[in-house]
Amino acid sequence: MNRRELLISSSILAIASTSLFSNVAIAAASPSEATIVLSSDENGAPHLDPIRATLLSVTAGLIYDRLIAMSNDHTFHPHLAESWDESEDGLNWTFVLKKNVRFHDGELFNADTVVWWISKFEGSANQHVSSAIDRVVVVDEHNVRFEMKRPDPNLLYNLASYFMGIPSPKAYEAAAGNFGVIEAVGTGPYKLESFAVGQETVLVANEEYAWGSELSENKGVPEIKRLVLREIQDSSATFLEMDTGGADILMGVPTEFVPRLALNADVELRNMPATGVSYLQFNTSSAPFSDRLVRQAIAHAVDQEPILKAVFSGSGATAHQFLVSSLEESKVQPEFLIRKDTEKAKQLLDQAGWLLGSDGIRTKNGQPLKVRLWSASETAYKRMAEIVQAQLKPVGVIAEVALFDSASLRDALRKGDHQLVISHYDWDNADILDWCFSAKNIPHPNSSRWDNPRSEKLREDAMSGARNWRERVAKYKEYHENLLENFVFVPLHEFEKTVAVNRSRLAIPERIRETTVGSATLLDTRWQ
Amino acid sequence: MTTIVSESRRLRLPVSVPAVVAGLFIVLLVVSAVLAPTIAPYAYDAQNIEVMNEAPSFAHFFGTDEFGRDVLSRIIVGAQTSLSVSVTAVGFSVLTGLVLGSVCGYFGGLVDRILMTVIDLTWSFPEILIALMLVAVVGAGLHGVIIAVAIAYLAQFTRLTRTQVIQLKKEAYIDAAVNLGASDFHILFRHLLPNALAPVLVAAMLATGDAIILEATLGFFGLGAQPPTPSWGAMMSSGTAQLFVAPWVIIIPGCAVALTVIALNIVGDALIDSLDFRNKAREG
Repeated sequence: MNRRELLISSSILAIASTSLFSNVAIAAASPSEATIVLSSDENGAPHLDPIRATLLSVTAGLIYDRLIAMSNDHTFHPHLAESWDESEDGLNWTFVLKKNVRFHDGELFNADTVVWWISKFEGSANQHVSSAIDRVVVVDEHNVRFEMKRPDPNLLYNLASYFMGIPSPKAYEAAAGNFGVIEAVGTGPYKLESFAVGQETVLVANEEYAWGSELSENKGVPEIKRLVLREIQDSSATFLEMDTGGADILMGVPTEFVPRLALNADVELRNMPATGVSYLQFNTSSAPFSDRLVRQAIAHAVDQEPILKAVFSGSGATAHQFLVSSLEESKVQPEFLIRKDTEKAKQLLDQAGWLLGSDGIRTKNGQPLKVRLWSASETAYKRMAEIVQAQLKPVGVIAEVALFDSASLRDALRKGDHQLVISHYDWDNADILDWCFSAKNIPHPNSSRWDNPRSEKLREDAMSGARNWRERVAKYKEYHENLLENFVFVPLHEFEKTVAVNRSRLAIPERIRETTVGSATLLDTRWQ
Repeated sequence: MTTIVSESRRLRLPVSVPAVVAGLFIVLLVVSAVLAPTIAPYAYDAQNIEVMNEAPSFAHFFGTDEFGRDVLSRIIVGAQTSLSVSVTAVGFSVLTGLVLGSVCGYFGGLVDRILMTVIDLTWSFPEILIALMLVAVVGAGLHGVIIAVAIAYLAQFTRLTRTQVIQLKKEAYIDAAVNLGASDFHILFRHLLPNALAPVLVAAMLATGDAIILEATLGFFGLGAQPPTPSWGAMMSSGTAQLFVAPWVIIIPGCAVALTVIALNIVGDALIDSLDFRNKAREG
């Protein structure tokens, strides 16, 4: 074959493959099972053991039930605990457990289970959830009392999280450290059939189930008998699966594909309440961002509106403080909110000694104000980085963007060579402030490397000084305001997750009461 | 020293219409790349969210991208990136390949075996793999891509030069030069290299086309030009996210890559046809 023939044949091949790509209909999902594509940020959980896990997906919520269920308005509802009572000093919690609850292996769930389960957190990755509990006392077979070392107003939130899904003690001990790898036994509405790390988890309905939480209408056996939960890395592939009928539910529609899926008559899109925020992170331990004035200038140079519009097509909201806006701790005094003010940004940089040169770049002691702006290479983060880069240029700051895959970015942040980073978190509790900015968490997850005596004092107080929920809110609000006035970060966007459902096959409940399409929603989901 | 005329190639003018069109296209591209900042209708990095993802119009001939930036301006500045990276990289490959290939071909023996074994090792891996490994070591950015592309094509030029030199050194005019007491350096650079040069230059033109594709591929993976500097590969990469909303953002740089590579190949083919490789006229 000569070069001309090669050119012609490769062109034909390229055209043919393009048309194949666009025309091949991906095999439709099987009628007997529902296929769910997980949200990309839930991909990659190495096992399904809630006690050891640092990453769990909605799968864990289907296999394991929790004592408490939390609705998306941040209220708590009975699940395996029928009711609970907190003593006035916050040092005793009594839980009344549901009767006749059995694990998938036939073992009975009772007060002894709770005693065993809480003890397993000691020394685990999730030790913090039980750190305030001194001991668990069996009152009778269906009554337990948590005696606390100190009040923990966040106890109910923790009890409602995936990490406090309750596994079967018998199966857990028998697996000897490998629980969640080949077997995962809980009391949930679905039983594990198979689990392939990073690929898919197959679940079958628990035919004994009769103890659904208050958040679902159906307390019994789910109508959808088999669930295939797939993990797909590539955002285009997730979109194609949903668009061509290969998936019944797509848990997190990539932002760029929301308008396209909206055109598909078979697809119903549901916006879930915001559970996370994207923000610009500073490395506060080194110049120039060790200077508060420079951080404040950058914070005022950034405009959140174009990010909302260009990156998220208007979905979600602009963020001007660090927390999800449905949390009470997010309602800080208005003067602490971080907003665009280009003129002020310029004045602050002048004040900090960074003077504008004739080339439009600021300098100080002969050093130009050129900073590294890092981001994950996924489309949304990359776009935010490019917008921030363009917004910093007019105030005389040159940001050099570098893109990393998520794992490399995490490693690079630990090394500490970063200056500005596009970051995000997905968590609907104020203790995310402790996670991100506690001096104990340097270099990770506090890669801002924020270490300030006043902030530490306020953080300690918020974490363990509150006797009740109201006090906790007040203390966290004060800590939050302290971080805002120090410009430790620049909030960018409060993101919403969009869930896509194949409405020709599945009917999900009109009102979703969870923060995501979880066990309560799937219990109420019916075939069309 | 007696002058030895070693003219060996005869050039016929490339007269085919596609070759002329392709040649003009390349000239136009080079001129616009050189004058990029002057002729681009908008600043390549000027964002305007109000006009994002707009279809081609009189205001924006190639439409706008996800930040409302003018795609035409980015294509023009992207041409500068693509051409400068590929020409620099291939130029580096050619120069190094000429030196290494001549030394190996002329001296032979142990030097030849050691150098060629090392060079041949690079042929054991696909070009894109070598490039990805090198960029991982050197770091993302244009300098990394230049080094990666240069090394990826080094073996090709070294082998080609070496083969040429081995053939040419058997010629009578080389024997004559040796008998007249010419130094190795003189023979290599005065007689052998000029004669080995023509096929290497044609190969270089074809390799430039391949290098543009390799640069675009690395750019597509985010390893080439970093934002906001445009490169055709990076533009296609960011265009994939809005393939269905604003297809021009991916189609136009794709066409730019395709047309440039096709043009370079047509001109390269025309040069092969024009250079009479069979006629190895020897005069002396």
